[in-house]
Amino acid sequence: MDVLYSLIDTLLPFEWTEFHFMKNAFLAVLLITPLFGLVGTMIVNNRMSFFSDALGHSALTGIAIGVLMGVDNYLLSMLGFALIFAVGISAVIGSGVSSADTIIGVFSSTGLALGVVLLSASGGFAKYSGYLIGDILTVQPEEIALLAGILVAVLLVWGLFFNRFLLASINGDLAASKNIREGAVQKVFVILVAVLVTVSIKWVGVLIINSLLVLPAASARNVARSMRSYHGWSVAISMFSGVCGLILSYYLGTAAGGTIVLVAAVVFALTFLLGFVSGRRRAA
Amino acid sequence: MQIICIYLRFLQKGSDGMKLRSAAALLLALCLAALPGCTVRGEQEEPALSVVTSFYPMYVMALNVTDGIEGVRVDNMAGQQTGCLHDYQLQTKDMKNLEQADVFVVNGAGMESFLDKVVEQLPDLTIVDTSEGLTLLESGTGEEHDHEEDDGHDHGDVNPHIWVSISDCIGQVENLSRGLQQADPANAARYEENTRIYVEKLEALRDRMHEAIDPLPHKDIVTFHEAFPYFAREFNLNIVKVVNREPDSQPSARELAETIRLVEQAGVAAVFAEPQYPESAADIIAAESGATVWTLDPAVTGPDDKDAYLDAMERNMETLVQALS
Repeated sequence: MDVLYSLIDTLLPFEWTEFHFMKNAFLAVLLITPLFGLVGTMIVNNRMSFFSDALGHSALTGIAIGVLMGVDNYLLSMLGFALIFAVGISAVIGSGVSSADTIIGVFSSTGLALGVVLLSASGGFAKYSGYLIGDILTVQPEEIALLAGILVAVLLVWGLFFNRFLLASINGDLAASKNIREGAVQKVFVILVAVLVTVSIKWVGVLIINSLLVLPAASARNVARSMRSYHGWSVAISMFSGVCGLILSYYLGTAAGGTIVLVAAVVFALTFLLGFVSGRRRAA
Repeated sequence: MQIICIYLRFLQKGSDGMKLRSAAALLLALCLAALPGCTVRGEQEEPALSVVTSFYPMYVMALNVTDGIEGVRVDNMAGQQTGCLHDYQLQTKDMKNLEQADVFVVNGAGMESFLDKVVEQLPDLTIVDTSEGLTLLESGTGEEHDHEEDDGHDHGDVNPHIWVSISDCIGQVENLSRGLQQADPANAARYEENTRIYVEKLEALRDRMHEAIDPLPHKDIVTFHEAFPYFAREFNLNIVKVVNREPDSQPSARELAETIRLVEQAGVAAVFAEPQYPESAADIIAAESGATVWTLDPAVTGPDDKDAYLDAMERNMETLVQALS
């Protein structure tokens, strides 16, 4: 850790890197944002942005269950609940009874309501409202190590499964003819998203976690020409928004998570204009 | 039990759609009948005087003032572990509780932001505002201003954590006692006597705390959540900075950085967190500036015990002596 700190000190000798908590937050942003950029591409492709939003909401219920069971670390209860929740959603969607967005809406509101009821029953919701906004500044070195581990794990899963993800999302029949089980592939992806959302919810917050998943990938779609550049743009935009937002929040005295999302939104607006103009030029 | 048996037999017989539907309707009716909402109101033994307090500090005061008086029941509206009532949402059971109460004891000074709604719903409820006549501090600036002057308009800009100072706590206990004496004149003398005993204990504790804290060499402290200005006024402590005034908001990076510099420059040795709130921000400031994190208890949550306030202050005294010497 000290090596990293001194590295930051030499490379970025600015005011905002003076304190350890900012260095920690900076490192955490460098680890979280590429993950969000990467996973976000597939979420936007598969039109699952509402699904990841529901997962974020379910974290609240996970915390409530943790409180009821008396665990100090809510990560396990959140993770457990999010996994059940995610697999439950995809199973109900798979049954084909109702349209996907309706089912996700039902799960999302149930999860949120259950969380609010359980948390306010055990005495005051205000204590947990930190989870709504999140706080990247309190990230600890051990947690940064955890994030690094997750980054490696996600990259591995991505490398192994990407072609199957892509094929299943483009054409299910073609995937089936190549012996790819669409349901299983989708479950792996859903679990991946659940783990990512749950682990980072403490620092990013229930309210804005989905924006970080969707905005960079949506911006990348505006400018990318191929699958490869789509990924590259998404990760780059995500990291740029993260670092930019963090630094801005330091000088402006604003909430870090919200500022990061706003920067990502501005990037989306710019890429939208860019994509619009170049699309017209190509058409003309 | 019988009904269920008949119902089951009914289910076995019926197989076509019509019967299934009526079976479902019957099941629904059974469920509705079993709902606890349909239970008939039970006759409860009515106490002579039912006192409901808004939150824990008021509850502890009321326990002391009504100690040993038969026929008086004290209930705490918000749960023991709720803490300060910032953004508290009234629940159905709270209104039910208040509906049955004779006296509602509140802290006042804006702590119970829902009070207007209660007054509107229950115009006959006697409300005892314990902050009456006390000198309140303005929120943020820490300037004093008298309660009487701004009676009538919004109390949102004064600091409501009055009870944390022992002198003001005594004032609140006396207000509370006066309110109860008016509501229940038959027991007036006993309330008076209980109040005298409790105030004596509080005064003795205050004297001991002055003896312990006054000679301490350092007086600069950093606190979280604006609970300690009244306490600081009482014991001449200098609150250098209050980080995140609202307990549920996180300090921004700039605020953290400014606080760390302030702590380093002013040579503050101790950062005080509260047991009710997470210490993460306090830990960050302490780790960066080399100060130590201590816990000061504003006695806003605790056991169901009438000495809880005294015990909490006793612990605060010990903490301050260790932290500031």
